Amino acid sequence: MNDRQSDSLDRLLANLPRDMAPPGNLWPGVAARLSGKSRRAAPPMALAAAIAIAAAGLASLFTWAVLENRSVPRVIQTVAAASSFDEPHDPKYLLARNSVERTFRERLALLEPATRAKIEASLAVIRRAHEEIRKALAADPQSAVLEQLWESTGRDELDLYDSVVQATQPSTTRI
Amino acid sequence: MESSDEPTDTIAAAAAGDMAAFERLYRQFSPRIYGLCLRLTGQREAAEDCTQESFVAAWRALARFERRSRFSTWLHQIAVNCVLSRRKGLRFAYEVAEPATGLPERADPGSGAPPLDVERAVAALPEGARHVLVLVGIYGYSHAEAAGALGIAEGTCKAQLHRARQLLSATLGLETS
Repeated sequence: MNDRQSDSLDRLLANLPRDMAPPGNLWPGVAARLSGKSRRAAPPMALAAAIAIAAAGLASLFTWAVLENRSVPRVIQTVAAASSFDEPHDPKYLLARNSVERTFRERLALLEPATRAKIEASLAVIRRAHEEIRKALAADPQSAVLEQLWESTGRDELDLYDSVVQATQPSTTRI
Repeated sequence: MESSDEPTDTIAAAAAGDMAAFERLYRQFSPRIYGLCLRLTGQREAAEDCTQESFVAAWRALARFERRSRFSTWLHQIAVNCVLSRRKGLRFAYEVAEPATGLPERADPGSGAPPLDVERAVAALPEGARHVLVLVGIYGYSHAEAAGALGIAEGTCKAQLHRARQLLSATLGLETS
């Protein structure tokens, strides 16, 4: 192809409209599919379930505090109350998640330094994996495999929180 | 890639779950996405499906959208992925390029008539060449961007574009005798 041909072709391609209106209104079909399922259903709901499990662990603390006539820490009340979540932007979800993490941090501080270091290292691995998968999902948002992995690493983090909270739970016999 | 002002407030509202905001994004971006899908698939019905799928996927993934890239770029990538994944399961029948539609093999260079049927000539290109031509030649992707979007090597991308341009040039009668 010579320069003239190339210029002509470039002009032709440049004149093509980038936008083309769909022949019909496609929005009702999109809206129907969005309302058919909850938004970003799989990962948030699974994470919500994981938080609910963590919250259940904390709920026993709530019971303990009530039985012992102690003041119930606000964090436990918050997490125990947050039993349903819709999506990552849901304030209830974020509040509950932060509460679980804060409780985990408080309990972690009670552990031996060597144990704490191992847990911190595990948490770093999980978070790194979660972040890598999130980045991959940003590039390929439709990948079901990545969604599952993202959900799984999110759950792993919460499971770790839960394990630490359970392992450091005060015994009623100790009081 | 082409740039345009992005409705950042609307994007943020949609990311926070505002369906009305997402509909506004759909209204703004669907013509571009449909055009891209139509040219990549060469089939109207498939383009409609891919456009819808793209917006459904975008809604689900919007919470993870990073502002590092432009929303339009991100949405384009979703659309390209939709087309490519659909292609794995279905063999498109290129309605635009079907012989019955009468796509001329060559335009008549001496006729003086402008080769207006560029769209059909693009649709008639072999798939790999067409994908690259659509992304690079029409939608302004760089070779690196197109190669990344299509999952091919940059060298392959360049070779496919060269091939596409030669074929188009021949079909549209841009050859010099």
